[in-house]
Amino acid sequence: MKKHDIVIIGGGAGGLAAAQGASASRLDVLLLEKDAQLGGILNQCIHTGFGLQHYKEELTGPEYAQRAIRELEGLPITIKTNTTVIAIEKTTDFTITYTNESEGETTIRATACILTTGSFERTRGAIKLPGTRPKGIITAGSAQRYLNIDGYLVGKNIFILGSGDIGLIMARRLTLEGAQVLGVAEILPHASGLTRNIVQCLHDYDIPLYLSHTVTDIRGAGQLRGITISEVDANFQKKPHTEKHFEVDTLMLSVGLIPDITAFNGLSFAKDNRTNGALVNQTFETSLEGLFAAGNALHIHDLVDDVSAESLLAGKHAKAYLENKNQKAASHIDVLVDEHINYCLPQRIQCTQDTDPITFSLRVKAKHEKATLKIMQGDKVLMTRKRQHLAPAEMERITFKNVDRLDDQTPLSLKLEVS
Amino acid sequence: MMYDFIIVGAGITGAMIARTLSKYDVSVLVLEKENDVGNHATLANSAIIHSGHDPKHGTLKARFCVEGNRLYDTLEKELKIPLLRSGGLLLARNAAEVDTLKAIYENAKLNNVPGMKLLEKQALKAKEPNISKTVIMGLDLPTTKITYPWEVALKAMENAINNGVFFAKNTEVFAMAKTENGFDITTNNGVFKSKQIINAAGAFAGKVAAMVENHVPYEVKPRRGEYLVLDRRVKGFLNHTLYPVPNNKGKGTLIVPQVHGNILIGPTNTPQSSLYATPNDVDALSSIKENADKLMTDIPYHQVIRTFAGVRASIDHEDFYIDYSREVDGFMHVAGIDSPGLTAAPAIAEYVVNSLIKSKTTLDPKPNFNPNEPECTMYHALNTAEKKAAFATNKRYGKIICKCERITEGDLMQHITRTLGADTIKGMKKRARVGSGLCQGGYCEHETIKVLAKASNKDQTEIDYYDKDTPVLLKETKVKL
Repeated sequence: MKKHDIVIIGGGAGGLAAAQGASASRLDVLLLEKDAQLGGILNQCIHTGFGLQHYKEELTGPEYAQRAIRELEGLPITIKTNTTVIAIEKTTDFTITYTNESEGETTIRATACILTTGSFERTRGAIKLPGTRPKGIITAGSAQRYLNIDGYLVGKNIFILGSGDIGLIMARRLTLEGAQVLGVAEILPHASGLTRNIVQCLHDYDIPLYLSHTVTDIRGAGQLRGITISEVDANFQKKPHTEKHFEVDTLMLSVGLIPDITAFNGLSFAKDNRTNGALVNQTFETSLEGLFAAGNALHIHDLVDDVSAESLLAGKHAKAYLENKNQKAASHIDVLVDEHINYCLPQRIQCTQDTDPITFSLRVKAKHEKATLKIMQGDKVLMTRKRQHLAPAEMERITFKNVDRLDDQTPLSLKLEVS
Repeated sequence: MMYDFIIVGAGITGAMIARTLSKYDVSVLVLEKENDVGNHATLANSAIIHSGHDPKHGTLKARFCVEGNRLYDTLEKELKIPLLRSGGLLLARNAAEVDTLKAIYENAKLNNVPGMKLLEKQALKAKEPNISKTVIMGLDLPTTKITYPWEVALKAMENAINNGVFFAKNTEVFAMAKTENGFDITTNNGVFKSKQIINAAGAFAGKVAAMVENHVPYEVKPRRGEYLVLDRRVKGFLNHTLYPVPNNKGKGTLIVPQVHGNILIGPTNTPQSSLYATPNDVDALSSIKENADKLMTDIPYHQVIRTFAGVRASIDHEDFYIDYSREVDGFMHVAGIDSPGLTAAPAIAEYVVNSLIKSKTTLDPKPNFNPNEPECTMYHALNTAEKKAAFATNKRYGKIICKCERITEGDLMQHITRTLGADTIKGMKKRARVGSGLCQGGYCEHETIKVLAKASNKDQTEIDYYDKDTPVLLKETKVKL
C-alpha cells in the first residue's frame, strides 16, 4: 500500500491552495480531483468578480482557476484527476480508497489529510417545497454547469427561488442567453447574495426581486407549467390573498450550499451543526488528529479569495503538523458566540507557544448598522472593533494579534453589541 | 394475432400476474400506458411486506397478505430482489391503545401471523433504543420485511418477458370492444386482440372497466399518501418498522427503515379526485412529523433529502375486488389493490391464475419455464476479488458517476442493457439509484445524461427526464458552424 505524507481531497480553489501551502521538497503530497480538470466550480463561473483580494486583479472563474493551477507548477505535488475518493478510515494513519478508470479501486495511506471537497446545493427535498414534482425544477449550480460547461439551456421561462449569489448570477446569464427570467423570490426580508450582484444581475436587467416571498405551489404533471409565490410573515407563514402566479417551464433554486463531507462518513470528528461542516481550531485541524478542513467543505464562503487564503493556511498547518508530529498534544479552549452571531470559526483554539495572529470568520444572524465586536475572556475585553454595517450575507473577519495574552483555561467569547 | 391474455397495467399486480401466467403455455401481452413498469402506486409506497396482522380476518386482504409475505422468501431467491428482515413493532401509548393492540393481536392470530409476542416497555426499548418514552406496550411482528417494491415489479416483468410474455410500454388503452371470441383493444399503438383481459390498471381500473361494463361493481376512490425521506446516512437510527396503533383513518404514520439505508416517514391518508399522485401539501408534511414524534425521539429531520406523494388505488369496498366480470365473459377485475397490495401481489397472482383462470381455462405448464433472474449487484457491493474481476473486463467500473450512492459508469451500462433497460434519467434513478442521495442529482445528472445519450446514440437534448418530451436540456447554445 502506497504511503503519502499529505493527501488533499478535492482540487477546486480550496484544494489548489491547500496543495500549494502543504508542498515541501521533503514531503510527498497527493492531490485527488474527481473531475477531468482542476479548478472545481470556478470552471463554470465564467463571470468576473474573482481575485480582487487574492490576486489584486479582477478575473473570471476559469482565469482564477488557471492562476491557482499555475502556482503549483514546479512544486513536488502528485495530481490525479478523474479520481473519486470513496472511503476514508483512520487507525494510526488515514486509509484512503479512491477509484479511477486506469487503476480501479486503490487504497493508499496518509499521515495527514485535508478535506477541500467543496459544497453541494440545497435541493427541493431539503426545503420541502409543496406542489407537484415535474421536470423543470433545477438548482442554479446545475443550470450553470449545463449552460457554461456543456453548452445547453435548461429552459425558456424561468423563475428563481432564493437570492443566493449563484441564482443572481444565473438570472443575468440566462437573460443574456435569450431566456426570460420572470423574477426572484426570497423568503427573508433581505437578499442573501452580495449587494453588487443584486445591482448588476437583477436591477440592470429589470428582473423583479420579491422579498419576504416564497413558492407556495408548483403545477404541471410531467413538465413544470407554472408556480405560485406568496408573501410570508415574520414567522415565514404564508399570508393569505398575496398569491402571484407565473407560467414558467423552469424553477431554479438558489437556496444555499451545504459543506460536502459525505465522503468522510467513516471518520469520527466533531461537527458544527450551524456550519454543517467540521469543527476546527486555528490550524484548521479537526478534532481528529491529522485531519484538516478548509474552503466550502468547512463553511460556506462569499468569495473564492477567502477560500484560497484559508486553504493556503490549512495546507501550511498540515505541513507543520508533519514536521512537529512528535510534540505532545496541546490543550484547547472553546470559542463561544453570543445570540447575535450565527457562527464563528475557528470554534476552538489550540494553546501552544505559537503566537501567530488568529483570524476569526463569523456570520451575524441579522442586519445591523453600527455595531461593536468584542473578543473577551471572562470579563476581560481583549479586543474591540467597530463595524458600520453587518449582514448575514457578508462574512465578517476579525484578526486577533495578541495571542500570547490568552489564558489557556477560560473560553474565548465573541460578543456583538448592537445599538 | 389473437393473444390468450392481455393484462392492462404493469404495476406490481400486473407484473406478478404476467410472471405467473408465463409458467404456462399461453400467449400474454402486457399493455402499460407509462414509459416504464410500476410508475404509480408501486413506485411510491411504504415498501413494507406486512405480516398480515392488520386486515380483518376472513378478507382476501388477510389471506393474501399472510400468504404473500411467505412468497416473498421464494421471490428473493428466484428474482434476486432485496429483502430486509427488519421485523415490525406495533406500538401503543395509552390504555385505550393497549386494548386496540390486544384486539389486533387476536385478529392476527386468526390470520395465522407467525411468531408474534406482546412486549413491555423494557423489551421494546432494548429492541429499539430511540423509541418514545410514552410507548407502553408493543406487538412484535417478526415476519415484517422491507423490499424495494419498484425493483420487484421490474424483476417480475423481466422474468415474464424472458419466459415469453410480450410487453408494450407507452401504450394506452382507449377503448375495448367485445367480439365473438374475445376483445378488440384500441390503443395509441394500434388494435390488439385477446381472448381474455385482466384489468390490473391500479387507480385507472374503474376507467378501464367502464370501457366494457355498463355497471362497474366498484368505484375508485384514490387516496394520497405523503412521505418524508431521510438520507441513508441515518442507517442504524431505526431497526424495525414502527406502526402506531391504527385509528379509523388507516394504518397511521409509520417509520420504516429501507433496504438502501434510508428511513421513510409517512404516509398521510387524504382522499383526492385525481388518479395521479398529486401535490405535496405543507400541512400534511408537518402532520407527519407530529405523528412520528409520538413513536420516536430525536428523529434527525435535518437529514430529510426528499418528500414524495403516492396514490392508493382504493375503491369503495374495504376488501380487494378480484373476480371475473358478471357482465362480460373473459374480463377480469383485479381492483382496489391498496395496502397490503405490495405484500399480497404474489398471492393475488397465484389466486388469479390457479383459482380464477383455471376454473374456466385449461393451462398447460411450459416445460422450459425459468423462474430465476440473474443477480444485478452494484459494483460497490461486490467483494474485492469480484471487483477486481469486473474492473478487468470493464474499466468503466472504475469511474464514479454518483458520488453520494457510489454508482459507477459500469453500473449504469448494466442497467441500460438489461432486459428492461433504462432510457430516461428517472428510469436510471429507479434502477441504479443515481441521484437518490444527498445531492439529489446535482453532481451526477449531467453525467447520467451523457451516458444515456452515448449508449442510445442520441443527442443530449433527446434524453427525457421521465415522461415523453421532458428533456432536461432544451437546446444547445454553442453549435459548431
